[in-house]
Amino acid sequence: MSACIHCDQDVVTAYFNEDSTKEGPFCCRGCLTVYNVIHAKGLAEYYEIKKNVSFFKKRAPVEIKSAQYSYLDDEDFLKEYSYLSNNKEQTMEFYLEGIHCLACLWIIEKLPEFVSGVVSSKLNMSRSVVSVVLKNDGKFSRVAYELENLGYRPHPLKMNQDTQNLKTKEERAAMLRIGIAGAASGNIMLYAVSLYAGAGPEYAGFFNLLTVLFAIPVLTYSAFPFYRNSWMAFKNKSLSIDVPISLALIMGGVMGVYNMINGVNENYFDSLSALVFLLLMSRYFLKAIQEMGLGTTDLHFFYQGESVLKVNENNFHMTTEIHPKFIKLNDLLKVAPMQIIPADGVVVSGETYLNNSLLTGESDLQKVLVNDDVFSGTMNMGSDIIIKVKKINKDTRLGQILRSIENGWGHKSKIIDITNVVSKFFVAIVFMLSIALFIWSYKDGNTKHALEQALTLLIVTCPCALAIATPLTFIRTLSKSAQKGIIIKDDAVIEKLARVKNVFIDKTGTITENSLKISSFYILHDSTVAPHDVIHNLEKHSTHPLAVSLKNYIKPLPLKTLPVTDLKEIPGIGVSGIIENHFYEIKNHSIYEDHKIICSFEASDTVRRDAKHAIEKLREHQVHIQILSGDKEEYVQKIANEVGLTSAEYQSGMSPEKKSQVIKSSEQSLMIGDGANDAIALSYADTGIAVFGAMDISLRAADVYLSLPGLSPVAELITISKETMKVIYRNLVLSLFYNSISVVLAFTGYISPLTAAIIMPLSSLSVLISTLIGTKKLRMIWK
Amino acid sequence: MEIMPFLIPIALIMAAFFIGGFIWMTKKGQYDDLETPRHRMLLEDDKKVTHTKEGEL
Repeated sequence: MSACIHCDQDVVTAYFNEDSTKEGPFCCRGCLTVYNVIHAKGLAEYYEIKKNVSFFKKRAPVEIKSAQYSYLDDEDFLKEYSYLSNNKEQTMEFYLEGIHCLACLWIIEKLPEFVSGVVSSKLNMSRSVVSVVLKNDGKFSRVAYELENLGYRPHPLKMNQDTQNLKTKEERAAMLRIGIAGAASGNIMLYAVSLYAGAGPEYAGFFNLLTVLFAIPVLTYSAFPFYRNSWMAFKNKSLSIDVPISLALIMGGVMGVYNMINGVNENYFDSLSALVFLLLMSRYFLKAIQEMGLGTTDLHFFYQGESVLKVNENNFHMTTEIHPKFIKLNDLLKVAPMQIIPADGVVVSGETYLNNSLLTGESDLQKVLVNDDVFSGTMNMGSDIIIKVKKINKDTRLGQILRSIENGWGHKSKIIDITNVVSKFFVAIVFMLSIALFIWSYKDGNTKHALEQALTLLIVTCPCALAIATPLTFIRTLSKSAQKGIIIKDDAVIEKLARVKNVFIDKTGTITENSLKISSFYILHDSTVAPHDVIHNLEKHSTHPLAVSLKNYIKPLPLKTLPVTDLKEIPGIGVSGIIENHFYEIKNHSIYEDHKIICSFEASDTVRRDAKHAIEKLREHQVHIQILSGDKEEYVQKIANEVGLTSAEYQSGMSPEKKSQVIKSSEQSLMIGDGANDAIALSYADTGIAVFGAMDISLRAADVYLSLPGLSPVAELITISKETMKVIYRNLVLSLFYNSISVVLAFTGYISPLTAAIIMPLSSLSVLISTLIGTKKLRMIWK
Repeated sequence: MEIMPFLIPIALIMAAFFIGGFIWMTKKGQYDDLETPRHRMLLEDDKKVTHTKEGEL
């Protein structure tokens, strides 16, 4: 299979450039269009750069929508979404879909050169957010339009200067803590090594003083988060891994200063500050990688869908583009085919078919006429309609679902979090051992010596390797999964997925593609005009879903455009017209020539290509699989059979609330879904996975988001989770092993700052290596 | 060992210089985005876009 030359996805139906060059293949028309736009603008270097990039995130094919983005220039909108600087320059941030590699960066930052009025555009690749600065005569609609044409759908982000500043401040503080800990531990090591090597008495005191001075900022400023977390844990009457760490740091600090005052040149600052540095680093990276996941999913929610067309009350042909946020009650909105209805309302003009599957799971199309109610979250499949808004935001059907989701979050089962469990036992055991050691040493009658021994034990048993190992393992898993298109919001998901027992899958849009496709096409009799040419010429302007799937079906064939006379479309029945003196009709899933049937076809929702394989893979994990669908029994049964599930393994006619009931009553559950009707279930399930193309509302409810089409990543993710937990347990054993060595050394009296300086980094190094090696299966998957 | 009184202050001054520089750069926002600059440096910035007609296919 060859790859699309624009997006690098595998090509199923190849498209080629229609001009003389015949460049290709492309996976879809969207990619082809973008390819030509890029060339027409003289930006072809994009492909040169892309060729030389060895690493990029996988991206999905481009989908072109023709929005004008004129609402971006509205005063009201600008007030909330843009930032005016002193010299009259305006800044707006857009979240861009489809950012994946160096070449994207190049093309986005070239904006000032081909869009007039743009002063600068800076892209943050990890957030996929571009910040565009405009001169006061520039237009953001122009910028957005160009971005759309290049295949990056822009979504304006609300500028909240205050929260933004607070976040920046926190991030910078985290960075400073790490930097200072790193620099100080490096310097401490310099003098500590001199002391270990036997610095002369004329320098020893001075060197010791320097180590203490360097350690002060580390133990106070840099280590502050550990103290804060420990305090929080105490307030909640629980223990976390930060408690023993804080304890070791405080004891180490007290002892170091005490020794210095008494003229003893011994302290543990070299080991402790290096550990603070490593711990802060591992936590920083874990947070960074989680935010990448959160960024792609949470940001999705901010934009609440595409812009909508507001219709003038007196003249239905006059429309203005507005942002969904600015929809008001009783507004008239125009909803074009393939658009999602943005608010609950009633049809005032036009008639169409609606796809309710995102809201209810039903795959049958619903026909709506003037005065019929329509709900937000349903998709217009037919022709233009105009609706009058009756409910907005919280009051809509979608809004109610959203509220249930927020409830669902509170019901999630708590994770066990292995490191916290261990730390509870750990603190208890270490305390008991310290007391034992104190009593043991006290038998010589030297209180001071016994106290020192006991304190030393508290310091050297600092469970740092354990505290570093767990985030390290999660960092590796989260980042590697993200490269494979599995975006995990929270590392707790890994632990839950490793123990998953019950898997629930939505049907429409998850197992199936939620689009009508021609499943069979029989030519029954010869005809003057070939059936596909009849379709091509008669259905040219039709937007009925069946017509669209017919047009898609015949697209790869060579087609002739012929003159048609008397072309008629009878809504709800079909089309007819005269071609080459014969009367042709397309109706009742058949094509007729002069009232004689010449061809019949059938259309159905198709199962995703990898669905069957994915379910077989899931079975290998010994889980119960069940389809939860809002659709009719007959449809669900057909699909279940197709993917190899028995009659006990599906439930049909489920309402969103019913789905969540089923999930609530089952343990260790995993829900996979896409639509708004799955959203509540996704939030109640222990783990919710939203598949590619899922609605914003489900993205918000889910813990994991698949950023590439297909179901197979689910089974893979379970394997990844199980293997990751294995690595975590192994690291646990390793770090406890080193701690036992320290305990033995402390009891036998061989522990000193020097032995601690050897054992502590060694334990951290071994968990690092263990994490990088992973397991055999993980190495196979990451490859 | 007479060199020590000279070397140690130098080491300390260098340390102070780099830590100070680091704090200054962080406060200036040099480390706000750690992902993009490492890609950006690979791009040549002297190449101009040749064809700049807007909105034309």
